[in-house]
Amino acid sequence: MQNLNIKIGGQAGQGLVSIGTILLRAATQEGWYLFAHQDYESRIRGGHNFFQIRLADRPVASWENDIDVLVALDEATITRELEEVKPGGVVIYDPDVLGPDAQKLAEQSNSIGLPFARMAEELGQPKIMGNAVAAGAVWALLSEDLTELHETLALMFSDKGPAIVQGNQQVASAGFARVRELLGERPRPGKPANPGPRLVLRGNDALPLGALAAGVKFMSAYPMTPSTGVTEFISEHGRRAKLIMEQAEDEIAAINMAIGASYTGVRAMTATSGGGFALMTEALSLAGSAEIPIVVVNAMRPGPSTGLPTRTEQGDLRYAVAMSFGDFPRAVLAPGDVEEAFYLMAHAFNLAEEYQMPVVVLSDQHLADSYTTVPPFDLSRVEIKRGKVVSGEEAGPDYLRYRFTADGISPRLYPGFGQGLVVAAGDEHDEHGHLIEDAETRQKMMEKRMAKQKLVEENALEPVLCGAEDAELMLIGFGSTKGAIAEAVEMLNSRGIRAQGVHLPQVFPLPQGLEVLLQKPARKFIVEGNYTGQLEELIASRFAWKPDGSIRRYDGRPMNAKYIVDRLPGGVCHG
Amino acid sequence: MANSGFVVCKETAWCPGCGNFGIVRALAKALDGLGLQPNEVLYVSGIGQAGKLPHYISGNVLNTLHERTLPTATGAKLANGDLTVIAVGGDGDGYAEGGNHFLHAIRRNVNITYIVHDNQVFGLTKGQASPRSDRGMVTGTTPLGVYNEPFNPLATAITLNASFVARSYAGDQEHLARTIQAAIQHEGFALIDVLQPCVTFNKINTYQYFRERVYDLDQEEGYDRTDRQAAWARSWEWGDRIPIGIFYQIQRPTLDQHYADILIKPLVRQELDKSVVEEILDEFRIG
Repeated sequence: MQNLNIKIGGQAGQGLVSIGTILLRAATQEGWYLFAHQDYESRIRGGHNFFQIRLADRPVASWENDIDVLVALDEATITRELEEVKPGGVVIYDPDVLGPDAQKLAEQSNSIGLPFARMAEELGQPKIMGNAVAAGAVWALLSEDLTELHETLALMFSDKGPAIVQGNQQVASAGFARVRELLGERPRPGKPANPGPRLVLRGNDALPLGALAAGVKFMSAYPMTPSTGVTEFISEHGRRAKLIMEQAEDEIAAINMAIGASYTGVRAMTATSGGGFALMTEALSLAGSAEIPIVVVNAMRPGPSTGLPTRTEQGDLRYAVAMSFGDFPRAVLAPGDVEEAFYLMAHAFNLAEEYQMPVVVLSDQHLADSYTTVPPFDLSRVEIKRGKVVSGEEAGPDYLRYRFTADGISPRLYPGFGQGLVVAAGDEHDEHGHLIEDAETRQKMMEKRMAKQKLVEENALEPVLCGAEDAELMLIGFGSTKGAIAEAVEMLNSRGIRAQGVHLPQVFPLPQGLEVLLQKPARKFIVEGNYTGQLEELIASRFAWKPDGSIRRYDGRPMNAKYIVDRLPGGVCHG
Repeated sequence: MANSGFVVCKETAWCPGCGNFGIVRALAKALDGLGLQPNEVLYVSGIGQAGKLPHYISGNVLNTLHERTLPTATGAKLANGDLTVIAVGGDGDGYAEGGNHFLHAIRRNVNITYIVHDNQVFGLTKGQASPRSDRGMVTGTTPLGVYNEPFNPLATAITLNASFVARSYAGDQEHLARTIQAAIQHEGFALIDVLQPCVTFNKINTYQYFRERVYDLDQEEGYDRTDRQAAWARSWEWGDRIPIGIFYQIQRPTLDQHYADILIKPLVRQELDKSVVEEILDEFRIG
């Protein structure tokens, strides 16, 4: 496989996301597959952030440590990231932002000093177009000509008018020419033969797209990193899909608004992170008791408390599974990549409506903010199952919202759709929905609701496998570690170790198929992004089982193949 | 309860003589008077003695959590604007833990009616001080008497330019029914704070206390309910004379109107148009 890793480092507000976005679009247009992840601080200006793009000639699912092209918009990129550059890698830096020491460091490598902003100004353009200079400079290492880059700039700046488009194209050409002049012809990363149409999206794009495909009609949310992208996406695109997105005064209001909308019969959701999810848990219990479908995206970030707001962790698993006070049916899904995020999000609405319960979709900052090349989503694969719903006529005037049924699912009537009245309550209630105190009804109602949990479990999504079936080593994970595990498995297999990856798209209830896998003779390792081993605990308590070892990360950074393989016991990799 | 007229349930969990009886009867009367059918009405309530009201009158019910009445009602109204949405809560419920929702519901001006059973105590938890309790009132949680300034819902609502601000009295069902009708007919968020004697836990603000003090602002000549300053001044009148009636009423854009381009018909009656999703997906397509 041919790979090229580009890392753009700089301060918040300097435009590294612009450069990164220009490059990833142009590179996709040119045919490459890519994976791009972002690392940023909880601030709007200053600090040190990076945007890292991995280009490849086939689909890639994770990131790599070694950098081929480093673009330095600030001094910290040189002082902190230089050692990641491979021998022979290229460093493109802005000499105007470097102190003498950093300048000396930068000059030692295979490097080019390009004063991005100054070059833009010398060409009669505003400083901000220094970003396009940088993009053009990197592009010289990727492509023979500027066609795709110019097209991308035209597309991205079309709403700003032709002068801005031409200005960006002009300065990008200058950056391109300068690098070409200084470095001459260099080998370029190979491209796939027939890449075909693709999308390049983040988890925070795929999740709301999945919701739109599922026919979500109402969303309410309160901004919180890293979930805000979901909310902004729906705000931007939802109106066309005749969808209401109301920004709430707090997360409590957000989920309760969505529950109110859902009660009337529309698909409704909210999205949040960390403390916002904590505020929503009271209402999740209401949805459980009143049997109102609701889908909540929790884009995890490291806790406890405010933790590391802009970074990644899988530390809310236990909390999402426990979800709230009291016993009620629920499901927790954990998409592992952009494509899965789209289809699982749509599936979440089906689950929520078929079983009339809350469903939590666990994302995290790494999935939320990382771009991946994916095949176009297939809407015909998105089946909409609204569960048991009766018309006004079928319901009749004596409709019972919580009618006792064999499977515990009482058909829904949407209020106002018939003569029957729809009485829903979070207080314990009878079949009518009216409040009760008696023990017998309480017990029956509890058993009715919990009967649904059994069905949810029977229909749980099975593990997604990769690698060797006759594995001697198994890596088990959930959520955004999927790509890292898949690539670790590849790495191990290429070293002659028969490895298999097990990704769990549904973490609660766990699928029964997992038990079969756990009985395989392979040595099993749980890979997860939290301190206490929350997945391990979940699996252990469900199947009375213990792994052979665990690999955990809780420094706020995403895993990749190297991280996992480096942490396997010595005997595994070298034995 | 069948769909013919608004029947009020005789069996309730309220104390004999509770002010809530006056409210539920007035509500039924108001809804009947407007020619509505129970299946066209949705009551949204939280937890507390007031929160039980929807179970004692015919209609659709969404009985949610303590203090979460307003956001839930807002979501329901946005999703199905055909429903007449009546949010019901208490002063403990709505002005304490639900205070933030109250402020923002006013800002949104969502087209719902909000009836607050204002008995100036937490009734269901046995009489603790509420944000509405008078200073000096001794309760289980304030053995030395209430020391905080009472919350003034009307002044707060008027300050935030709520589009309909009224007070009524559970002891005057005619007045209350009339006020509820005006609130339902009002386009926008309509607050009715209802003076509701708690016969068990509030020995100060009793039927007799209010009977001696309330007077009807609606009957007062020259009172201009669009005059915000005048309304605000009246909202502070709480002593020998306590005004009831519509303090303030104006027209301003409602939340539903903000979404008018989407709400050509109620959300719940709109089919998913997959072609729009295709179109959005196409915009992300490369190559």
